[in-house]
Amino acid sequence: MRVVLRVLAGPAGALVLAFVLAAVAMLIAGVSPLDGFGALFAGSLGGRRPIAETLVQTTALLFPALGVSLAFRAGLFNIGAEGQLLIGGLFAGAVGAHFAGPGWLVIPVLLLLGMVGGGIWGGIAGWLRARFNASEIISTLMLNFIALSLAGYLVAGPLKSPLASGAETAPLLPNGYLPAFPTLGSISFGDTRLTISILIAIATAVVLSFVFTRTVFGYELRAAGEAPEAARRSGINMPRMTLIALALSGAVAGLGGAAIVTGVLHRFNTALSPGYGYTAIAVALVGDLNPLWVCVAAFGFGILEAGGLAMQANAGVPKDAIHVIEGLIVLVLAARRYFATRATGAPV
Amino acid sequence: MSTGVSLMLTLLFLTLIKSVPIVYAALGGVISERAGVVNIGLEGMMTAGAFSAVVFTNLTGSPIVGLIAGVFFGAVLGFVLGFAATFFKVDQIVAGVGINLVALGGAAYGLVLIFNQPGASPQVTQLAPGQLLPQITTGETAMIVLGLLCAFGLNWFIYRTPWGLRIQACGENPRAVTDAGLNPLRLRLYSVIASGALAGLGGAFLSICEVNLYSDGMTAGRGFIALAAVIFGRWTPWGATGAAVFFGFFEALQYVLQGRISWLPSDAMQALPYLAALFAIAGLVGRVRAPAADGVPY
Repeated sequence: MRVVLRVLAGPAGALVLAFVLAAVAMLIAGVSPLDGFGALFAGSLGGRRPIAETLVQTTALLFPALGVSLAFRAGLFNIGAEGQLLIGGLFAGAVGAHFAGPGWLVIPVLLLLGMVGGGIWGGIAGWLRARFNASEIISTLMLNFIALSLAGYLVAGPLKSPLASGAETAPLLPNGYLPAFPTLGSISFGDTRLTISILIAIATAVVLSFVFTRTVFGYELRAAGEAPEAARRSGINMPRMTLIALALSGAVAGLGGAAIVTGVLHRFNTALSPGYGYTAIAVALVGDLNPLWVCVAAFGFGILEAGGLAMQANAGVPKDAIHVIEGLIVLVLAARRYFATRATGAPV
Repeated sequence: MSTGVSLMLTLLFLTLIKSVPIVYAALGGVISERAGVVNIGLEGMMTAGAFSAVVFTNLTGSPIVGLIAGVFFGAVLGFVLGFAATFFKVDQIVAGVGINLVALGGAAYGLVLIFNQPGASPQVTQLAPGQLLPQITTGETAMIVLGLLCAFGLNWFIYRTPWGLRIQACGENPRAVTDAGLNPLRLRLYSVIASGALAGLGGAFLSICEVNLYSDGMTAGRGFIALAAVIFGRWTPWGATGAAVFFGFFEALQYVLQGRISWLPSDAMQALPYLAALFAIAGLVGRVRAPAADGVPY
């Protein structure tokens, strides 16, 4: 009994709960769960195109979720993945609009710029926490809104494409487009939005997993999160760790923004993220802050995001039900212990 | 009247109006944190208040009922967070993030389900829209006065009543409350419910008093700014109220400056209140102390 309870209190239980709640949401909307789930899965897994779209959503969630995981492992509540994603995309889009060159040069540079942008945005919160003991929870949240106004201002003004009617940057030159996902046997993804960015995301997860478990830095980062007092006494420079962890966390999220710009939108606008940075927190928690499990969790949420639209169109269940379910999952998973203590944290 | 004077008056009135929702949410933040629960869910509770106020005003035609509904549904979310934070000992920050996702998604879901239109609700009856002063409605005046009364009442309650002192003790040293024969978990739960009710009232102000509809994302981070106001106001009711007015001033300033400074476009100025909050919490280096057991499950 106790074992069953423990499993149910964890990510597995959260997924079971998600399905039960989704069924309830469908019933409230007056739709048979059979039809609702049918539409959801047909729209996310029923064929080559739906699967490609699910993987596009998976990628968009995976980068910020990895960033969030990194910060949470260091005991820092980075709730600012949304802003970091946006600034990363902004950096890539702003430069990509004018950067002509061979693809092997342009693409890495744009992705790197995304990391720099997100890293700066996360680093600001890290610096404020390290230097002034300003709660990273509040600063990252404020920076989300500041990022949105900054990006909104730039794409409506200085960076606005003279050719576009809406507020967006000029399109990237085609050399800056991420290549389509490689052809698998006879299945080609050339006509879908799926690119190699999913492979970059998974590679990032593998690297992060290696860093966490096999490097001294990863050990110190986890020590800072799990036993801050012991970490400090053993000589880890905690302010420095705070700054690095939040900057790195932002860089990973920012890479995601650049991946959306180079892979999906091919330009930057503020509609880049419909809240991926917030959903990413749910993804990171369901994945137990373990990069490899976060990949699995991102796929699960990718199904919900991609299938939600189909569910709305074909079964008449508003797709926002998905976000209610995500929030309830976070609430349930909050009961797990992620941090040794908050007593040493900044005042919230 | 010269344009300068009328501009100053506009700024003053707008500051009053823009401060109201932040004041309510910040007072909610004070009572919750004084009891030892960090309430990141204030934003979601405001959303719940704003949305349910519109739904019930639409249903009954009475904005007063809408206001009460806003308070009630804010309190319901407060109960969820409070219950989770006390008896389930969950991580308060993570739970608060969950509350926000649920409320924002729930309101968007409700818009489609109830009004069959995504994005924004239809218009409903506004709370006392008659002009009392040149730029401020009767309803807004009433809510400003009520807000001041709430600040006054909370200050009196926390510092002058036995239950207030016990709630303070829950945030400083819950063990001592247990030793005194009381249940700190229950006191924390009540405090977070009150916190949600206040935030819900602030949300209801946004939707049925300042305007007459609910639109997605209309709380725009005010619940988070209220959290910064709690810190900036050093966990005291009057301090938090003052800080909320300070942030409200920057929101008002943004509207007043719009179109008046050519090189400062409105998109960039929307960042003003958030920047003010960011600077406020960073500028308090080493000079603030949260309640000792704030955010720590007992």
